[in-house]
Amino acid sequence: MPSEQELQISPIVQESLVHNSRTLYNLQSLTASLFGVSAGILGLESYSGFVFYVALSLVTAVLFYALRVAPTSLASGKPPLDTSRYFRGAYDFWAGGLMNGFAGFVLTWTLFYGLVTA
Amino acid sequence: MAQVPVQSIHRDPQLFYWILFPITIVMILTGVLRHYATVLMASAPKKQDQKATREQRSLLHGINVRGNHHVLSKPSFTARRDALITAYESGAYLKNPDSRGQPPPNPMSDPNAMEGMMGMMKNQMAMVIPNTLIMSWINAFFSGYVIMKLPFPLTIKFKSMLQAGVATRDMDPRWMSSISWYFLCIFGLQPVFNFLLGSDNAASQMAQQMNQMGPQGGAQMFGPGVDPNKQFLAEAENLAVIEHHSVLDGVEQRLLAGIKV
Repeated sequence: MPSEQELQISPIVQESLVHNSRTLYNLQSLTASLFGVSAGILGLESYSGFVFYVALSLVTAVLFYALRVAPTSLASGKPPLDTSRYFRGAYDFWAGGLMNGFAGFVLTWTLFYGLVTA
Repeated sequence: MAQVPVQSIHRDPQLFYWILFPITIVMILTGVLRHYATVLMASAPKKQDQKATREQRSLLHGINVRGNHHVLSKPSFTARRDALITAYESGAYLKNPDSRGQPPPNPMSDPNAMEGMMGMMKNQMAMVIPNTLIMSWINAFFSGYVIMKLPFPLTIKFKSMLQAGVATRDMDPRWMSSISWYFLCIFGLQPVFNFLLGSDNAASQMAQQMNQMGPQGGAQMFGPGVDPNKQFLAEAENLAVIEHHSVLDGVEQRLLAGIKV
């Protein structure tokens, strides 16, 4: 965590941070619904469905990092897998998708499971 | 150990067309309607007279000077601080300087406060009325049978919630009735609304409740029942205790350290 003086010398723009998190949130909730659709069509039940969801969320986070964050973040001298150039908390970036998209996942999973197996 | 046979219930495939899709479509349309109703009902900020605006802005001025003191040089910060503290303590920016020291008026009798409460009431209404209507609609038309099976097992505790109105004791709690589909829709439609209406929509009541927790500070600061004189005095004290330093302190050393020959 940078000290107060460092923050004042190179300040963090709050609006950009909010915009970044909102973009990430939109991606997470949309992909979670789509994962629900695929889990329902595949007919996954109980644990395998949840494992499917967790694994695919992590894959999404990794892809997002590799395609959007890594090119400029690595070029500016950050270590690999460090998202602090664009996002405040590493936890929000890597695991936030699990929380944000869960309700949407359950909804579409139930819907498509019901439609397919009826 | 005997394997528990998987329950299967023969349902009419028409159930989906006549129950599942109507409920889902109605939920989505209600969300869209709620969003536009909130947009249309949002009352424009009321025009305030010059004195009240000056009172609020000068307090904000003090707060901003305190928060950004590091970008000012020492003499200009001192000049600002002295001017603000003098004005705050003499009450020069107060809306009515005569009422200093008197207790603030009762917030219930202030017409401005009533307006704010009306706005909140309207929002609450926009949330409560559609929910009640839809729930009674589902209860009236679609209760008494199960429509779908959840893809994951649940404990027996959920039975009374998911199978409300279905009095079958031995049925697996995975079977759910239409009212539980309604609850799933309430929680899970946020991504759909994000997709349809943009991400700062007012469609989902869940997101609205989250928002109500958050930015209380701005509304409370100039809310009714707060004595502006006390706020000014507190702000003057805050300004007085600031230990000023500038971002330009030691900038030469930092510049030289950053230059690689």
